[in-house]
Amino acid sequence: MASDTKPIASGRWHPPGSSRAEPAILLGEGKTLYVRLAAGGDPVSVGDMARMEISARVGRIPRRISFVDGSLFETEDNDAVDLWLKRQGKSGFVHELERFHPRLLAFVLAVFLFAGLIYRYAVPALVELAVLVTPPAVTHWMASGTLLSLDQAVFDDSTLPDARQAEIRAAFNGMADHASRGRAGYNLNFRHGGVIGPNAFALPDGTLVITDELIELVDGDLDMIIGVLAHEIGHVERDHSLRQLYRAAGMAGLIMLIAGDVGAAGEDILTNGAALMTLSHSRDAESEADRISVELMAKAGRDPRAIGKFFAQLEEKLGTGGDSSFLSTHPGTAERRKAIDDHARSVGSGGS
Amino acid sequence: MQQAVFGRANALRRGEFRGSAGEYFGIWIVNILLTIITLGIYSAWAKVRRNRYFYGNSFVDGHSFDYHARGLQIFIGRAIVFGYIIAYNVLLTISPIAGGILTLLMFFLLPWIVMRSLRFNARVTSYRNIRFDFVGKTWAAFVAIIFGGLIAFFSLGILAPFASRWLYRYIFNNLRYGGRAFETDPKIGALYRVWLPAFLLMVVGAAVAGLLGVMAYYSVVEGADASTDPEMHLLLGIYGALVPALVLWGVAAIFYRIGVRNVVMNATRFDARHTLFSDLGRLRYFWIVISNLVVTVLTLSLMRPWAAVREHRYVIEHSGIVVDGELGEVVASMQNSGSAVTAEYLDLEGFDFGF
Repeated sequence: MASDTKPIASGRWHPPGSSRAEPAILLGEGKTLYVRLAAGGDPVSVGDMARMEISARVGRIPRRISFVDGSLFETEDNDAVDLWLKRQGKSGFVHELERFHPRLLAFVLAVFLFAGLIYRYAVPALVELAVLVTPPAVTHWMASGTLLSLDQAVFDDSTLPDARQAEIRAAFNGMADHASRGRAGYNLNFRHGGVIGPNAFALPDGTLVITDELIELVDGDLDMIIGVLAHEIGHVERDHSLRQLYRAAGMAGLIMLIAGDVGAAGEDILTNGAALMTLSHSRDAESEADRISVELMAKAGRDPRAIGKFFAQLEEKLGTGGDSSFLSTHPGTAERRKAIDDHARSVGSGGS
Repeated sequence: MQQAVFGRANALRRGEFRGSAGEYFGIWIVNILLTIITLGIYSAWAKVRRNRYFYGNSFVDGHSFDYHARGLQIFIGRAIVFGYIIAYNVLLTISPIAGGILTLLMFFLLPWIVMRSLRFNARVTSYRNIRFDFVGKTWAAFVAIIFGGLIAFFSLGILAPFASRWLYRYIFNNLRYGGRAFETDPKIGALYRVWLPAFLLMVVGAAVAGLLGVMAYYSVVEGADASTDPEMHLLLGIYGALVPALVLWGVAAIFYRIGVRNVVMNATRFDARHTLFSDLGRLRYFWIVISNLVVTVLTLSLMRPWAAVREHRYVIEHSGIVVDGELGEVVASMQNSGSAVTAEYLDLEGFDFGF
């Protein structure tokens, strides 16, 4: 044993490619490492630091030093190995950060700050990008799938007479011509709502659906019907459904990427929660669609306040029972009507 | 724990987990911080450090496991998957037909991907200086996973035990440890015994959902509101009915999964002599998962490291191997680990190999 050979740590040694383990000691001389069995004798493994693999330190898990010949020395004495490595001018930067230390508190705060920034800026930017590059074919598939499942689950064929349908369609086309996609970009469908009752909605590819019950509710007032449809066009023009979908999916995806493992239950909740989220329009989206309805109606020479009147009608007939809207993502109709009227005034066409 | 069987000593060696929540907290928060700062690039290295922490603290018979995947391997895998998705979307814009063909191709590639990722995960795992290996073939993966999954799905779960049996026979019968084989033969009767309570729970859940669904139907009819999305109405109705059912189904799924794990591991032999062992308590494990979730949510996820360590500890301490005589010396059959692309595409970390 050379005089400047210093013992570093004790541990276990595995022969090349074997599971056998024997108690052993790790010794160092300059940049060379030796393993000597506790039983004594000649070194069983010798190697230059540059040609062996010393596993990075993670917590207190056993440290493994793999020699070129496939033999392995493992020790629980991480600190001794670190000390020797430090003398050779190597230190584990990431482990240093991970040690339990007051500075972890700063990391926690930084993570919360970054998470806030991501939610505020990165997610919206990514959503815009995704909306921009979404192929039309994809939105078409999504929409036809949704309509198909709704048709099977809840809708029946419309009971509206053909002449009435044609009349509404003609008025609708007159209004849709002023939308950026033009009348060709939209496809109006009449359905009997059944469970859904009075309603109208738009799918991201420009498929619009209006239920017989809604037409009944407004007593066939054409302005109101077209106003509601213009509101739905507003959702399509601004890609609200698509944005909502990407926002929810993006949030879930980012959480999974950043957190790495959220547990099986966490993943379930994230994916189901994302699916739920995609189906509610935000307050902003609703008021944006209201404004577009006002503008389109004004351009088409119809009453721009129609959508507001529609909400008044709704209030009157159904009552504003808090249970009529499950989620409070929709502004109260009073405040909503005021916003519509203000916008109608600023658009400048007084209407009736 | 010793049990004597006709004079031959069979020693059960339980796993032990030596990690601690405090120590893992540092690793976890630094992983998140660096992942954010590097715009997600570090997530591959984060995965390696996380796995090394959990593998390296899982001990059986005084030796721990280790995880040898490199951050770069996983990063390249993720980059390729990312590139594929981008290329796929570009192609879809140019030609929807080509995109459709690509989707079909993906479906046919799936068994190969599953096989490769099982192999990758086995080859980057070691115990006592010896790596694991997986020698399953693609076609067998198709039968075991895709066909089995379809059978289980279309039989409404009634044939699920057969699918589980195929899946775990595929996994364990192809698993190698340094040239020595694992073999498993879970009895279909035993699988049906753990399936029965889970299935009954599912039926109860479906009945509850049906009952609430009818009630929700009428409440929706009462309170329709044109300013809300009908889909949301529908979904809320459905979810309102489903939440209790989903909880019951969650319990059923955990019951079944844990039951199957116990049956399969206790029916798995290593080197034709030693038997794997698992005695997870179904209710206890469910309690751990649920309380972990609640605590994690209430603490804005700051207790997630504690929850992860707690769940892991329970699983490891209720697994083990019943050694017949001595494990003996195992000699390696050297292989490199193959690429990480496929392992990354389908993150099969959920398939614990029973340790």
